[in-house]
Amino acid sequence: MADLEVPKELREEAKGHDMYLHPIDKNTYELFFGPQHMATENFSVILKMDGNRIEKAIVNPGFLHRGFEKLAEGRPYFTNIALLLRICVPESDVPENIYSMAVDEIVGWEVPDRAQWIRTTVLEMARMSAWMFWILGFGNEIGLYTAGQWAAAYRERFMRLFEELTGGRVYHIYTVPGGVRRDIPGDKWLRQLRDTVEYLKGKLKDFDEILFDNYITIERTEGVGVMDKKFALRHAVTGPNLRAVGVPYDVRKDDPYYFYPELDFEVPVLKEGDSLARVLVRRYEMEQDLYILEQLLDMGPPSGPYMVQDPRLKALPRFKPPKGDAYAHVESTKGDFGAYVVSDGTHKPYRVHVRGPSQSHGVTVLEELLKGARLADVPVILKTLDNCPPDIDR
Amino acid sequence: MDMNEKPKVEEKVENTEETKPELPETKEGRLVKEILGEAPYAEGNVRRERRVEFKVPPERIREFLETAQKKFEMLIQITVVDWLKEGEFEVIYQLWSVSESVHAAVRTRIPREDPRLPTVMDIWPVAETYEREGHEFFGVMYEGNPRLGPFILEPREYEKHPFRKDFNMLGYVKGIYGEDFDRYDESKTNYVI
Repeated sequence: MADLEVPKELREEAKGHDMYLHPIDKNTYELFFGPQHMATENFSVILKMDGNRIEKAIVNPGFLHRGFEKLAEGRPYFTNIALLLRICVPESDVPENIYSMAVDEIVGWEVPDRAQWIRTTVLEMARMSAWMFWILGFGNEIGLYTAGQWAAAYRERFMRLFEELTGGRVYHIYTVPGGVRRDIPGDKWLRQLRDTVEYLKGKLKDFDEILFDNYITIERTEGVGVMDKKFALRHAVTGPNLRAVGVPYDVRKDDPYYFYPELDFEVPVLKEGDSLARVLVRRYEMEQDLYILEQLLDMGPPSGPYMVQDPRLKALPRFKPPKGDAYAHVESTKGDFGAYVVSDGTHKPYRVHVRGPSQSHGVTVLEELLKGARLADVPVILKTLDNCPPDIDR
Repeated sequence: MDMNEKPKVEEKVENTEETKPELPETKEGRLVKEILGEAPYAEGNVRRERRVEFKVPPERIREFLETAQKKFEMLIQITVVDWLKEGEFEVIYQLWSVSESVHAAVRTRIPREDPRLPTVMDIWPVAETYEREGHEFFGVMYEGNPRLGPFILEPREYEKHPFRKDFNMLGYVKGIYGEDFDRYDESKTNYVI
């Protein structure tokens, strides 16, 4: 690769388009990885390559910036749900929940038990469907397409359940400050959810055989993109990526919300810190999430209202919370997802700031981990970090 | 009677302001007390379970965060809030302590005219990303961060600082998209875009 000469015409054409295909010095050239590459999703990394090795990586986000935080300042509180959930595409219930939790705290609402149960169930369902989505992406990146197609089919089961519960498949607009928008459709829905959980429990073994215990996965991920504990903490890496370096930090355990204090589940921790550890932590979490869903179904939804009883809710567009601010966060499949909401006493939020987990592991951490990696490792590192570009852009 | 009662309430409020609120005997209270012992220039209080907050003057924010780093391992976010009427930016460093499971909001206020803060990149390298975002959206200068510049926005939008409260969003969109956007009237204020 070192002797590669870019033809003169191509080089000049590239210069005209403000691209730098030409070699920077004798052995180095710049490569634009994404946004058209499947692994990066709406995101790009500029790689300075020496042959097949990456010398330097520069993350180039911004393809998805739609100014959600600014737009949220111009809308009433309840309307913002339909906007902010678009920040996290695979599990859109997470932004709904963090925003609702923060507003609940500002207003001082005690969310009814039934609404809390529904919110917990919805979050766990979102986690499961996001895991399936992740298998689809990860399986495709390392060439194990069958696992990805299976996962997409299983995700469909959750989408149908979501559709029946909320009316939407991907974006649900379901959790609102004070509770949820609608009650559970009935016992039939709960039975369907239990069937899906049972079904997926059996299918995890199939995923083990085809993906997690597959020698291709192990060959491609072992020893790739290693980080250590100190590095991860200083870079505010959260979620499965942090648990893969040996820190048992899980928001559901450490800052419990909703029904999580009453549920019994484990936080899987591995010490290696490479891509394989990150993959396996996710595999163990899938098991835990199915276990949590099972417990929730055994518990059954508590009786009572699904929305807080407040006369102010009758005039929704002009609903005004008191002055104040609150930070709320939940554990998503990507990591610690948080929202900081400031209220100045008017019917619109003064400031909404969303903390996406990819903001930390998708920029500085990615740049560090890509240094010295091979070009073929880039999709593996991107997918095992579970980088979600809308978190960075927002 | 009513007239007599009202000043009494005000007096009570004044009294509570003068005496510093006592920190509760919880893990949060002990944590705040420990940090304030090392950094007496800051104010701190416990908001609720697992939530504490500090107020620090901007000149000493770096010193304070260096102290706080011993207990709070992670810098979760740097939030900038534009308080237009006061003419100030409120910069909130949101920290999370993995060992104690406590969230801390470290607040500082800087003037809107010349917003400058020292970088905390060397304490938490992830601050680089947050500071780039704060610089691009609000125009806060983080001295010592080498990568301030166009990050998420397009280069033509750089230095317009769109998240400031006095940024004219409708005017900007109309200026860029012109004819396609002429159905919007700037004189109307009740548009929700």
